Amino acid sequence: MPTDRSNTAPFGLTRRALGRAALAGGAAAGLGLPRPAQAAGKTLVVGASVFPDSLRPGISSFASSSLISQTNEALYSRNNAGQAVPGLAESHRQLDEVTTQFELRQGVKFHDGSEFTAEDAAYTINYVINPANGYGSLARIAPITQATVVDKYTLNLTARAVFPTILQGLTNIQIQSKAYFERVGFDGLAARPMGTGPFVFQRWVPGDRYELTANKDYWGGAPKVDRIIVREIPDPGTRIASLVAGETHIIEEVPIDLIPQVESSSVAKLDEIVSSVGLILTYDVRVPPFNNPKVREAFDYAIDKEAIRRELLKGRGELLQGQLLTSTTFGFNPALKPRPFDPDKAKAMLREAGFNFRTPIPIATQSGKYLSDVDICNAAAGMLSNIGVNATVNVVEGGVWTQMQRAQRAGPMYMIGWYSLGDADFAAVWFTEGSRRSVWKNDEYERLFVEARSTNDQEARERAYHRMMEILHAENPAMFLFGLPSLYAVNKKVTGFGAASDKILRLAAADIA
Amino acid sequence: MLAYAARRLVILPLSLFLVVMVTFVVLRLTGNPVDIFLDVTSTPEQVAALTEKLHLDEPIPVQFLIFLRDLVQGDFGQSLQFNEPALQTVLQRLGGTLQLAGTGLLLAIVLGVTLGLVCAVWRDRLADLVISSLAVAGQSMPSFWLGILLIQLFALNLGWLPTSGAGGWRHIILPAITLATILLPNIVLITRASVLEMSGEQFVIAARAKGLSRLRVLLTHVLPVSLNPLLSFLGIQIGTLMGGSIITETIFAWPGVGRLMLTSISNRDVPVVEAGVLVIAIGIALTNLAVDLLQMLIDPRIRRH
Repeated sequence: MPTDRSNTAPFGLTRRALGRAALAGGAAAGLGLPRPAQAAGKTLVVGASVFPDSLRPGISSFASSSLISQTNEALYSRNNAGQAVPGLAESHRQLDEVTTQFELRQGVKFHDGSEFTAEDAAYTINYVINPANGYGSLARIAPITQATVVDKYTLNLTARAVFPTILQGLTNIQIQSKAYFERVGFDGLAARPMGTGPFVFQRWVPGDRYELTANKDYWGGAPKVDRIIVREIPDPGTRIASLVAGETHIIEEVPIDLIPQVESSSVAKLDEIVSSVGLILTYDVRVPPFNNPKVREAFDYAIDKEAIRRELLKGRGELLQGQLLTSTTFGFNPALKPRPFDPDKAKAMLREAGFNFRTPIPIATQSGKYLSDVDICNAAAGMLSNIGVNATVNVVEGGVWTQMQRAQRAGPMYMIGWYSLGDADFAAVWFTEGSRRSVWKNDEYERLFVEARSTNDQEARERAYHRMMEILHAENPAMFLFGLPSLYAVNKKVTGFGAASDKILRLAAADIA
Repeated sequence: MLAYAARRLVILPLSLFLVVMVTFVVLRLTGNPVDIFLDVTSTPEQVAALTEKLHLDEPIPVQFLIFLRDLVQGDFGQSLQFNEPALQTVLQRLGGTLQLAGTGLLLAIVLGVTLGLVCAVWRDRLADLVISSLAVAGQSMPSFWLGILLIQLFALNLGWLPTSGAGGWRHIILPAITLATILLPNIVLITRASVLEMSGEQFVIAARAKGLSRLRVLLTHVLPVSLNPLLSFLGIQIGTLMGGSIITETIFAWPGVGRLMLTSISNRDVPVVEAGVLVIAIGIALTNLAVDLLQMLIDPRIRRH
């Protein structure tokens, strides 16, 4: 009988399907997606824009440093302004040209209860500087040849030459417990970070969340909150929605066009600081048209940088003063000023230089790497078009981008940002031959760079950097645009948190009212 | 039917081989993982060591053969990003995507078939006009935009549901609706057209003549055969669902394999991309096979071909 099956029930299909839906829901609960554990006390939730791939120490990305510095600390750490401040070391003094002695903080405990001593610091640094270990941030302290224990709370670091930026370099080296490191190995450190920091590792779910609890015995004072959850929320709109809905208390990387959403909400406010990244458009000076310095200078007059900052950055960040360094960086040359916007002059100079206006000038950029990167390139291309230059924007995918950068074939003009982290050395290096990132070469610049790196005399270093900035300004290996802001949005109930120029979350003093 | 299934399964490895090869070659040609993973300041020794470890000093065909040799032993290699076996990385995140895609698909089918039936039964009446117009509008709505609207309405204005992330059942509702909407309009329209077409067939008239009620004829005679075009559609669209899943996972910060693939591609983490692509390709191939077999079960006429 063809109608047999129909005796079961009318609408059978739908009902069965609904039953399956209920089953699927039940099964899904067992699929291993994380559920928030029961929280006691105050929980502070942070919405991060991007997570590192793992908690491996030594990866130099900010996303990585930001998470790792919750559990582990360096001898010297950075504050939100980017300056090196005492961390696990209380002070330092120069013993001779190449040896620095560090007095370590006493009575500091690792999360496992053991005491932090010079042995731990020496072990970590000696591990880092051994090239065989392939430690990511090795370059930050590469001149160091040896770490020696003097006594329980005294450490000597010996460098192969004068190392004026040793403190800034050390801020990237997170100290591990020697006993723990030896027991679990390098991979064990990533699986379960354990240090002296304000927060204790609980759980790490890649692509989703990082959970920590307060270290009540923290030497800097017990954190104000009991628990930290850092969530990865890649979409900026969703990140802001989560803040406004009260699911997160602090969010990173607020895009300029969504600032009004934060400002119009009653629960959150914007928190910003100028980062140390100088955003520039680098020229390929090896080939025409940019092998002609006149053409490079003319281009500088063609872009209304102040208008771009006003419209696209909504007046945030700062205009670079005709040089690579942001105004708060050591080595910034206050005597230099950006060239004014003068399109007529630009056009005249280009004609004079015999510039062929039909030459295609694609401006290469990544999308979303820097604040408003593609928009800024579009605006620059538009302004160049206004004086008749055949400029376009070429948005390049990340993997292809690094390949182009390595091969030094990024096209005639490309956008990039260089961080100084407060000291000219780290940014200025990118225009030296040794960095393998500059096609522009200048003997005097090279010599000054080495000079500044080879003395502990801060005044002499500053003089060298001032002159180097003058050279950059005169030679225009790149067009200097903006010091980008670092933008956070914070729930108004949160106190004790500040935007960080280096994008590291500093949460030990953060509290929720 | 079994012979057919066996034939399909025999050629499956060939398709998978092509997928694996194209993925490998394209990723290798368009970016060097060493450049991406090592700091710009890395020493030449570090570069040389990683280059050798990944066999990047060999020509690409040789690299591929080495990769293939390990693959047939079930080894995709270590993920460069996560420093763990690539397959493990993918499988860890697969659960989230299956949960989301499964819920979305189910929602789309249940709602879509129901609404399609309503449209067919009350053809050209108000319900049909409203639903059909909404379906056409829905077809033209980008899913990311819908996701943002849903967050705005249900999470911000009404405060009923969380904006994002994974957690309890409340977290899956908005992303599942967003994902379902990619397929829903087409399911409605296909069900409607197919039911209407079948309603005029001889066997339907015969069933009615035997005295069966309109509803019973609709549900037991018309609906099952009408599902065939729908199944074909779903078989083709399962890939679209995976694509939609990437966008949905990103908007809703849902920890799934879609987002993992996206970051792995930009990092040129070849082992993870290959493991992900292969798992997804096997999934799609098997789904298609299941659809074909199901269609044969439903409609005996197909079995003869």
